[in-house]
Amino acid sequence: MAGEPVLSLRGIRKAFPGVVAVDGVDLDLFPGEIHALVGENGAGKSTLSAIAFGELQPDEGTVSARGTVGLVHQHFELIGRLRVWQNVLLGREPHRGWRIDEVAARERVVAVAQRNGLEIDPDAFVETLPIGVQQRVELLRELDRDPAVLLLDEPTAALAPAEIESFFATIVQLAARGTAIMIVTHKLQEVTAYATRVTVMRHGKVVERTLIGETSIDAIARAMVGGELPAVARRATTQMKPGLRVRDLRAGSGATRLHDFYLDVRGGEIVGIAGVEGNGQSTLADALAGMIDYKGTIERTGTIGIIPQDRQREALVMNWSLVENTLLGRQHRKEACRGLELDRGRARTEALAIRERLDIRAASVDMPVRTLSGGNQQKLVVGRALIDRPDFVLAYNPTRGIDVGAAALVQSRIMEARNHGAAVLLISFELDEILTLADAVIVMYRGAVLGSFGREAFDRAAIGRLMAGSA
Amino acid sequence: MTRATRMIAGPLGAVVLILVLMSLAMIAAGTSPVDGFTALFVGALGGRNQIGETLVATTALLFPALGICLAFRAGLFNIGAEGQLLIGGLCAGALGAVLTVPGPIGIVLMLIAGAIGGGAWGAIAGWMKARFGANEIIATLMLNFVAAYFALELVSGPLKGPLAAGAETAWLDPKYWLPTLLPATRLSIALLLAVALALVLQWTFSRTVFGYDLRASGEAPEAARRSGINLARLTWLALTLSGAIAGVGGATIVSGELHRFNTQLSPGYGFTAIAVALVGDLQPLWICIAAFGFGILESGGLAMQASAQVPKDAIHVIEGLIIFVLAARRYVATRVEGTLP
Repeated sequence: MAGEPVLSLRGIRKAFPGVVAVDGVDLDLFPGEIHALVGENGAGKSTLSAIAFGELQPDEGTVSARGTVGLVHQHFELIGRLRVWQNVLLGREPHRGWRIDEVAARERVVAVAQRNGLEIDPDAFVETLPIGVQQRVELLRELDRDPAVLLLDEPTAALAPAEIESFFATIVQLAARGTAIMIVTHKLQEVTAYATRVTVMRHGKVVERTLIGETSIDAIARAMVGGELPAVARRATTQMKPGLRVRDLRAGSGATRLHDFYLDVRGGEIVGIAGVEGNGQSTLADALAGMIDYKGTIERTGTIGIIPQDRQREALVMNWSLVENTLLGRQHRKEACRGLELDRGRARTEALAIRERLDIRAASVDMPVRTLSGGNQQKLVVGRALIDRPDFVLAYNPTRGIDVGAAALVQSRIMEARNHGAAVLLISFELDEILTLADAVIVMYRGAVLGSFGREAFDRAAIGRLMAGSA
Repeated sequence: MTRATRMIAGPLGAVVLILVLMSLAMIAAGTSPVDGFTALFVGALGGRNQIGETLVATTALLFPALGICLAFRAGLFNIGAEGQLLIGGLCAGALGAVLTVPGPIGIVLMLIAGAIGGGAWGAIAGWMKARFGANEIIATLMLNFVAAYFALELVSGPLKGPLAAGAETAWLDPKYWLPTLLPATRLSIALLLAVALALVLQWTFSRTVFGYDLRASGEAPEAARRSGINLARLTWLALTLSGAIAGVGGATIVSGELHRFNTQLSPGYGFTAIAVALVGDLQPLWICIAAFGFGILESGGLAMQASAQVPKDAIHVIEGLIIFVLAARRYVATRVEGTLP
C-alpha cells in the first residue's frame, strides 16, 4: 500500500459480559482505498467500527487517526421534519450574530453536494424524500466535515438496485480523491464489484485480508463461515394440496393499492412474489395477515406462520427474553396455557428447541433479544413462525440484512416447511432468493399481477423487465 | 446494564436522591437535616399511633399506585387516579348510607361499588382513547376536575346526608366500617387488601396471558397488534381496571377511615401515587415498599412541621421533584443503554 495509513488500529480487544467481541485486531486504512469489512453476524464488525469511530473505547490496543473520521449509520439518523440543509449542518450551522445564516448555510450545502457529484434540493423536507435520497443527506452531513476516513455501516441495506449503483458511483469518486473508505456489509457482490481490499472477521479475529483481485465471492464466504457454505435444503417432490386462494383482492390506497389481485399457493410449493419495493407487497402481506381491511376473497385452510418484514418493530419485544418472545403471536392458543397461567416450562422447551434448530448464538434463552445480533433475532422470528408446523407460511424478506450463513439456514428451514407440505408465500426484494427457493414466481407491479412463471420457465431477464413495469 | 446496577440506578438511587433533596429543603428552611429527619421519623414511626397513621397513608397511596402501575405497564399514562379514587369513594359512600344488609355483605358491596365507580371513570378515558384516539394523559387529567366538581355537586345536594352540616354523605352504620387491623389506631384491614392485590397483580403480570398481552402492548405496540392482541380492547380494559383499583382504594378510605364520603377524601393521593408507582419501578411488590416510604413522608411531614419548623409543603415540593428526577433518570437510562452494542 502506498503512503501512510490515515487510520490505524493496533491490537484492539474489546469484551462485553460473556463475550469477547473483538480480539487482537490490527487494521490500517489508506487514502484512496475502499476497504470492505465482512463477517457473519456477531463476528465483531460493528464493535470494531464503533471503536474506529471513537464511539466505544477498546479494552486494549490503540487507535490513531490523521484527520476526521465520519460514520454513516445503517439506520439513518435524520430529522424528517427539518429541511435537507438543516439536517446536513445540524449543530454546525454558520452564524451571523445570534441567528443562523440561512443563505450561507444553503450555499455551503449546495457546494458540498456539487463537489461530490450529488444532486440534492437543499430546501426539501427530509421526510418527503425517497430512501436513496435520504441516504445522500446522511452522506452529505459527513462529507461537510471533510473526513479523511469515512465508515459506512451496511449503506445499501435499504436501497433499490438503481440507487445502489449511483451510491457506489459517489463512493468510488470520493476514494479517487483520496478519502479512505471502510464499508461494513453483508452483500458480497458489492464487495467484489466496488471494494479494493477486504478484511474478513470471524469470532472477533481477522481471518483473512486480501486485495479484491486475488479473491472471489466464494472464497470470502468460505472464510466468513470458516469452511464450506451450508447448502440450502434440497427441494423434495411433494404432493400438492389446497393452500391459499386469493381472488379479486382490493386493499390499501395510493401507489401501493392492490387491485384485481389473484394468487394461488398450494400446499407443498413456494410461490415467490418478485417486485421492486413499494409496489404493494406490504399491503398484500398485511391483508393476508389480517392486519388491514380488504375486499375480495382470501381463502386459506389451517394454521398460519408469519415472518414479518420488520423484525424489531413487528415481530419482537426487544426487552423480553427469547422464552417470552417464543410465545408472541402464539399466546392465545389453548396449548399455551396451563390453567390460568402461561405454560412457561413449555415455552422454555420451545425456545431451546428453536435455538438448537436455527443455531441461534445466545448464551441463554433468558437474555433479552435486544442483546442478540440482527441475524440471530431473525432466526428466532423464523423458528417461531415454523415451530407449530403451520399449513401456510408468509415470509416477507426473511433474510434481509443477515449474513450468508444465517440466510442459508433460514432458507433451508423454509424449504423444509414446504417439503413437509406447507403452502409458502415468499415476498422478497432479492430476486436471487426467489429464484433459489420458489416453485413459481409472480411479478408484482403497482399493486397487480404482471406475469407469472413456473420453475421450469424461470427467465431472469424477463422477470427483471416485468419488475420494471415493461411487458 | 446488569440487574445490580439497574437497581442502584433505579429505586435505590431514587431513594438516595430523595434523601439528599429533603436535606437541602430542610437546610433551605433553616433546620439541620439531623433535626428534620429525627422529627420526621419520630413523627412517622415513634409509637403505635404514629405507625398506624403512616400505614393508613401507605394504604391510601397503595391502591391508586397499583392502578397506575397496571395502566403504565400497558403503556398508558393514567394520571386520573385522583378522580377515580374520588368517584370510587363517592359510590361507596352513597351506597353505604342507604344499605340495610348484614355488615360483611355491606362492606363487600361498598368495595364493589367503589370498583365500579372508579372503573367507569377510567373507562370513559379508555373509550375516548380507543374510539377516537384521544390522548389518555389529557383525558384522565381532565376527568379529575370533572370528578371533583361532580362529587361536590352531588354531596351538596342529592346525596347530602340529612343531618350533615357540610357537603358530605350520611355517616355509615358502624357495622359497615372496615375492621381495625391495629387496635386503638385508625388502621383498617384495607392494608391487607392492598398488599393482597399487589400480589395478585405481580402474578397477573408475570404469569397470565392477560398480563403478557398487557406488557406486550406497553413494550411494543406494533408487535403486540400483530400477535393477535386487540389493542383498542386492551386499552379500554386496562384503563377500566386501573380506575377500578383506584376506586376500591376510595371505597376503603370511606369505609375504613372517614366513615362517610366528602370531597376531602384525598389530599392528592392520586397524584403522589404516580411517584409511588415510578419509585416502585412499576413492580407491584416494590410499589408496596415505595408506598410505605411515601407514607412516612405524608404522616411524618406534619410532625416535622410542628417540631422542626420545616413547612409541610416542603414535603409536597419534594414529591414533585421526585417525579421530575425519575423522568430524568429514565431518560438518562435509555441514553446509556442506547450506546451499548
